[in-house]
Amino acid sequence: MNKTRFFLILLTLVSLLAACAQPATPPPAEPQQPAATEAPAQPAEAEPVKLVMWWWGEQEAPGAQQWLDETIAEYQKLHRNVTIEAVLQSTDSLIPAFQSAAAAQQGPDIQYFWGGVWTLEFAWNGALVPLDDLIPAEERAHYINNFERTYDGKLWGMGWYLSGNPMVYNPTLFEKAGIDLNDLPDTWDELIAACDKLNAIGVTPISGGLKDGWFGGWLFSILGRQNLDSEKDFMKASIGEAKFTDPAYAEWWERLHQLKEAKCWNADINSVDYQQGQDQFVQGKSAMIFGNDTFLKGWAEIIGWDNMGVMRVPKYGSGKLADTYVVTAQGLGITSWSQHKQEAADFLMFMHTPDRLNAWFKYTGVLPADDRFDTAQIDQPILKQIFEWVVQSAGPNLENFIPSMLDEQANFTGTQLLFAGEKTPAELAQLTEDVIQKWREQNPDQLQNFVNWYSK
Amino acid sequence: MSITAAKRYRLIRQIEPYLFLAPALVVIGLIFAFPIVRLITLSFQRPFQGQMLFVGLTNYQAIFRDEVFLRAVRNNLTLLISVPIMVFVALILAIFLFDRIRGWQFYRTTLFLPYLLPITVVGLIFSYIFQLSGVLNDFLKVIGLERFILDWLGSTRLALPTLMFVIVWKEVGFGIVLFLARLMSVEEELFDAAKIDGANWWKLQWHITLPQLATTIEFFTIVSIITILSWVFGYVYVMTGGGPGNATMVTELFIYLTGFRYNQMNIASAVSVILLLVTGIFIFLELRLRERSVTLEEVS
Repeated sequence: MNKTRFFLILLTLVSLLAACAQPATPPPAEPQQPAATEAPAQPAEAEPVKLVMWWWGEQEAPGAQQWLDETIAEYQKLHRNVTIEAVLQSTDSLIPAFQSAAAAQQGPDIQYFWGGVWTLEFAWNGALVPLDDLIPAEERAHYINNFERTYDGKLWGMGWYLSGNPMVYNPTLFEKAGIDLNDLPDTWDELIAACDKLNAIGVTPISGGLKDGWFGGWLFSILGRQNLDSEKDFMKASIGEAKFTDPAYAEWWERLHQLKEAKCWNADINSVDYQQGQDQFVQGKSAMIFGNDTFLKGWAEIIGWDNMGVMRVPKYGSGKLADTYVVTAQGLGITSWSQHKQEAADFLMFMHTPDRLNAWFKYTGVLPADDRFDTAQIDQPILKQIFEWVVQSAGPNLENFIPSMLDEQANFTGTQLLFAGEKTPAELAQLTEDVIQKWREQNPDQLQNFVNWYSK
Repeated sequence: MSITAAKRYRLIRQIEPYLFLAPALVVIGLIFAFPIVRLITLSFQRPFQGQMLFVGLTNYQAIFRDEVFLRAVRNNLTLLISVPIMVFVALILAIFLFDRIRGWQFYRTTLFLPYLLPITVVGLIFSYIFQLSGVLNDFLKVIGLERFILDWLGSTRLALPTLMFVIVWKEVGFGIVLFLARLMSVEEELFDAAKIDGANWWKLQWHITLPQLATTIEFFTIVSIITILSWVFGYVYVMTGGGPGNATMVTELFIYLTGFRYNQMNIASAVSVILLLVTGIFIFLELRLRERSVTLEEVS
């Protein structure tokens, strides 16, 4: 057989295969409205139903696994025909695994999502269905932070639990350094003064870890908000109606730089990852962290509630967001390819029954994203304080309202460059603007979705 | 036999080989050709309003304007420095082992061991060794060499060389085993004759060992180049995540992040096509070398 014939046969086979494959056209960008499904009061007895749930959360809310196992067992007891398989994903595989599933239109019935863009990107590419036709409006109204998952007037996921960002401190080390526990630092200058006092007694003031990048995004969300009034301001800059080099957006780089110069941070911040940075606080090596309230109960089990306190992030800015406490609702969505959407929705509603909400708090010490939770259960003063902030001054987590490329290439990378001493705050603001321009150029489709999201 | 029957027979004879080849071709098509065709197709498209539009070279133009991609390419090229280092170290160690220094069998196993360890394990261990508060710096402090304490992974200047060290440490074992295997197949008489003629150790290596190892060195060099260009994801992902500040970003990680974190599968496809082309050139070279070495063996 000569080479030409061989090549022709191979080419024909490949063309046939290519022709058999799905067309290279993705599902419509405009989210599809699923056909309304009748909500069964009791799922049909005869037909066996298997639901697969890919989730994340044990990592930040220890105890979640135990709660989920119990919840599934109880649900299956009530619905004998339903089997639920819960697959815990790692932090790094949560998004890639679901992207592959979305491309293949095969995978879980219920998927875990962080809020905002992390959910809506999948609504935009047709991998999710809105919950409006699956969960009654009266029920949905109880869920907290629905605004994060609302697009085009529809709700694309259900909040599960709340995750907020207090500043956590070690009262013993504060007292040792002469910081008055009744007059905690609440301005930037006071924070820097506290760093000086802690450094004077040989204690690392604040610890963090940037190696895996995620903490850079947190710093952006916690510090970058203070001159602005709402998450819309950041969407506005993302779509090009404002610039990240404008002083209101750029100042946080300067403020972070001030903390670096004042030796507020652990010296190894660039060579340890997020978790190691947090662990330094638990080990008593540092006096403060920009923490996550979902970890509080777990830390208390190690060091005791008496050895930690929570405070608001000291202020430097005067925007409305400066007075807010960062809170996001981590949540779940139902996939467009699920054969059992209504059953999946039924399970999600079961997760929000009073008994399950209370059990969630008991296992994790984390507030559920539902206003029916019996708040009388919160007896620990630190958690009461968190609850008070959530109720009185909750504000958005800004990472949920910017493109993930911006987060990664500007916030993750920029904070590393700042601590490596490679870039000035002004250069980092410019880097942010360069990245968002690149994103707009490379992603006309996503840009349009952002424009719609912003304008609606 | 009628004319029709003869024609039919001839036709069957002509088709027969293709029928035998068909199952293999289908498998090759499914596993290799189809994904490559899809990859190339995707690299010329972009999603817009629910449609995949043909955009020509737009994705390719975009990546060549992308600073992070260019940084990744530069880092891959910098990492190529490790190839001659690996070849040299593997060669020296293989020669010493071939000289049967005392305990050579133990050393052979020990030196090959890193190659057998999973990259994730190696990456994790070296992460703990090289972080600022890690084992290496603690050791330097203990022995009084504080001035050598550096942020091996957290500094934009040091992270890539540190990564390179770990790659060499792990990959060199493969070279040692390759070279040693080749040397063991060289006829002893060659060395004995040279020794009788008065050749010293250097001359033995220069005139016998190196020429005998030439094709193996070429093979190891090309395999190492391919490794550095398209097989270092594991090291980077575990040890540095591409940081700090993209200092260790490599093409593979760029593809992963672009495709799976930023949801830009088309741009990721364009980068993959480029990487495929570059590694394809080296794979082709390697195949040619193998052909040549087979021919040389047949001639000799």
